[in-house]
Amino acid sequence: MDIAICAAAVALLDICALVILIASYMEKHSGKKVWSKIAADMELTDETRVYPLECDEILIGRHASADIRIQDMSVSRYHAMLNVTDGKWTINDIGSKSGIYVNGELVRHVRLYDNDVITLGNRRLIFRKRRIQK
Amino acid sequence: MKSIKRCQLVITLFLLMFIAGLGILTARIYKDAPFYITHSDNYRLGKVYDRNKDVLFDGSGTVDIPVNHLIDVGNLIGDDKGQMENTLVAQNIDKLSNYSFNEGIDNKNGKAAIYTTLDHKANRAAYDAFMGADGCIVAYNYKTGEILVCTSLPNIDPTSGYEGLEYMKSGTLMSKAMYGTVPGSTQKVSTVITAMEILGQEGLFSKSYSCSGYYMNGSGGKIDCHNSWGHGTQNIQQAVENSCNPFFAQLVEDADMPLESIKEMYTRLGYAISDGENEAEDSYIDIDGIQCFKASTTLTDTSDFATQWGCIGQGETLASPMQLMMWQSAIANESGKMTMPHIIKQVTDVKGNVTEKAQTKYSEQLFSEETAASVKQILLTNGANHYQYSIPGYKVAIKSGTAQVKHGNEENALLVGFVDDTKFPIAFCVVLENKYSTPAVAENIVTTMLNNLAK
Amino acid sequence: MTNPVSYLLSCIFVIVTHGSMLMNVYTNGKYDSINDIITLSAGVILLDAVYFIIMPFFKQRTYAVDFMLLLILNMSMIFQSCFGGVHFDAKHFITCIAALVSCRIGYIACRNHRWIQTKKKFVWAGIAVLMVIILLFTGSRSMWIDLGFMSIQPSEFIKPLLVLACATSIAEQMNKKKLGEFNVVYDNLILFGITAIIILFQWWCRDLGSIPTFAAIYASCFFLRICYPKAKFSKKTLIIAGSVVGVLGIIAIILAPAYVKDRIFADIWSDPDANGYQQTKALIAIAEGGWFGKGAGKGFLHKVFAYESDIVFATISEEWGLLYALMTVLMLLIMVAMPLVNPPRSYYHGTMCAGIAAAFTMQMALNIFGSCNMIPFTGVTLPFISAGGSSMVTSGLMVGMIVAAQSPVFANPSHKPKKSGKKRKRRTV
Repeated sequence: MDIAICAAAVALLDICALVILIASYMEKHSGKKVWSKIAADMELTDETRVYPLECDEILIGRHASADIRIQDMSVSRYHAMLNVTDGKWTINDIGSKSGIYVNGELVRHVRLYDNDVITLGNRRLIFRKRRIQK
Repeated sequence: MKSIKRCQLVITLFLLMFIAGLGILTARIYKDAPFYITHSDNYRLGKVYDRNKDVLFDGSGTVDIPVNHLIDVGNLIGDDKGQMENTLVAQNIDKLSNYSFNEGIDNKNGKAAIYTTLDHKANRAAYDAFMGADGCIVAYNYKTGEILVCTSLPNIDPTSGYEGLEYMKSGTLMSKAMYGTVPGSTQKVSTVITAMEILGQEGLFSKSYSCSGYYMNGSGGKIDCHNSWGHGTQNIQQAVENSCNPFFAQLVEDADMPLESIKEMYTRLGYAISDGENEAEDSYIDIDGIQCFKASTTLTDTSDFATQWGCIGQGETLASPMQLMMWQSAIANESGKMTMPHIIKQVTDVKGNVTEKAQTKYSEQLFSEETAASVKQILLTNGANHYQYSIPGYKVAIKSGTAQVKHGNEENALLVGFVDDTKFPIAFCVVLENKYSTPAVAENIVTTMLNNLAK
Repeated sequence: MTNPVSYLLSCIFVIVTHGSMLMNVYTNGKYDSINDIITLSAGVILLDAVYFIIMPFFKQRTYAVDFMLLLILNMSMIFQSCFGGVHFDAKHFITCIAALVSCRIGYIACRNHRWIQTKKKFVWAGIAVLMVIILLFTGSRSMWIDLGFMSIQPSEFIKPLLVLACATSIAEQMNKKKLGEFNVVYDNLILFGITAIIILFQWWCRDLGSIPTFAAIYASCFFLRICYPKAKFSKKTLIIAGSVVGVLGIIAIILAPAYVKDRIFADIWSDPDANGYQQTKALIAIAEGGWFGKGAGKGFLHKVFAYESDIVFATISEEWGLLYALMTVLMLLIMVAMPLVNPPRSYYHGTMCAGIAAAFTMQMALNIFGSCNMIPFTGVTLPFISAGGSSMVTSGLMVGMIVAAQSPVFANPSHKPKKSGKKRKRRTV
């Protein structure tokens, strides 16, 4: 019985798992890049802040569980949903009270382009190419 | 994004719950592994030694023990076969574990062992002194509580196996010192202690009763004396030396001895007392895991036939030799406290580290120190007057007893006492069953044992 | 896609780890001739190498899960080949390859949720077909179909399908319809029905070990569902529902029939050769193995029934040591935990990962804790470590789903003109 070999095997197993984990962490950065390619590198802004679009199916609303939470009584709790396919974003009304206006037009379901202005109740959001912030 | 975070939360919860379970599992395995391993086929126990490193039990199979070498300690030390439950090995089997989770099983070099206080040589000598008669002898150091001798006959050599179990005599598989026996006149020691506690030393010595060979008691029962000619008028010292039954019957019946006081005193001594209607529950002493019976008797009324015989040591009174011996320690030490006996001196684990060490323990105060000193004097005088020649060379305090058993068909000889010597503080109790059928003599057995212990 | 340096480094470490295990077998193991070890080593290293070469063709964003899978599979291969003496376990080798293949299938099938969501009905149909198969071929009191040369456990295949059914229908949450007085989501009802029927089936088959796994998958998906937009569940409702379930559970235990109680509270040590035979032997084996084990092939547990599947944790513990067995389980956990490092990018993939985590941890818990007598012993398999084709293939499928969540694709399911594509989108939204 050679304890040293056993211990070495255990240690190597742990190191191997660690290497894979570290490699996986390092891919986090490249993963973001891949995502921005999928998502056409877009973001949503209003006057005060920028909302990154980090996944498919983004819920906009007043409810606490919304991905993009807009605390304004004119915005419904579950207002709109953003989707991405083939690098193209679409916005869908999911039963809001005040509706969605894209560039001043009331819509239920529409594809978004760069610099579109989205109006939800009293709030205005701009859909645009992501800018590197300082 | 919140939705993704929620998914990750669920994953984390499941993983954490599982990891917590795994932690509990590991801790449990680590803790319980010594128990699991006892069911393994590869598992072997460690050894049991006597005080001179003589092997009394070997679970590892590495020691060559001659046949019948253990015939004197078989039913006390026992083994792991499960035939005998109330034995040292069976009750302390976990202490003999040659296993630890970190080290694994080490059958060959494991040092797990129990070092007992027994003196195997003296034990064997005492065993041989019985000359094949049934009975038992137990002796211990009344200062430290170390049991030096504890043998009982018939006995068994566990290394030879249990073949022919059904043909063995009853009592073969139990160490008789731990079980109740009729104490006979040795019971009178308890009665003397009780009377002295109730009446006081002077009160007891002022009492004297006459014996004409028998005594008709208050309820019309006839208490016989072993001397049919009678002992005449005696005081307590003479009555103890004569072991006079009518004296003790009258003492118990005396108006100064209320039943409640006797009951209270007996209870303090450890008797389980039945009052004729309610059976009392037996109580036990724990000697390193071995269960040892204390004593029991029936007390209904001080003028009652059975109650008086109970105080004299016949009838329904039972006491274990171990208990009879322990009372002697309370007298010998002049403290009124019993020295609690132990058989395990120390325990070592698989690596040889001492995990347990014996300590001397005492019972509560059973009776006053004055009573102890006074009773000691009575017994010493008895020893000096009657046992000077039969147990030569030792200053012994002693009380003999003859117990009628099997409806009076057999008589057992008993001796309880101690050696009054600070350098050789031995208390003992011997029971020689059916004394007329054997050439063995209780006094000789005690002498042989003491000679071997003194070596 | 991924960094070639870290890819190469991971490859080397996986091979070195397997090498260290084989070295351990060589020094501490029990073998008749060195050829057995050489054959085993060749098989393991070859599988490693081939997979490393094939993997880059799939152009995944990350390969971390694949590395973990390969690491675990070949560890399992070495474990299984060493039980009771070193030999090359060809059957297990084939099932390992089958697991790798099914992992690829799972990845390709699940990486695009727009596509799989249009195929939702096929998933339901698949479950239905499997249940019919169970009904027709296994019969009550059994869970195996004996094909002569191999046995199949059809209920295993329902697991990934249930995960998929949960994940594909989650987007329907907003699609409420009036049914009488209530606003309901049809998919929710369907899913609940499917789970209930599956559990009833398992009860009928006396495959009690699978019930908690299905329940866990459904519970995780249910939790994510009620947190999904528009499902109006407050925290208060959740707590009340949780406590109701807890109370019902306690009542169920109190009212349970005697034979169930006996199994739950059994004292297996009172008669080690009776009901608890496997567990007692397993615990004894773990105790004998200690931290570092006896050495590969030197144990006794390989003489006990189901040593290679139900009580495999104890068998590994005995031969390789508790430490190594725990590390092996840790590797499985790390693999399942990969979505915590690289987050999934859609609710569909997230739900899938959660469902798989639920299935894997539940199955591991049932297997390990069951064989160690912490919970009733049910006889489920330990994913990837236990021998058994059905379990291997389904576990491979499920890991394939994690791979898919790590390297997702967001594309329209068909190459039809954009208009029709939009229409379909509306339906799925």
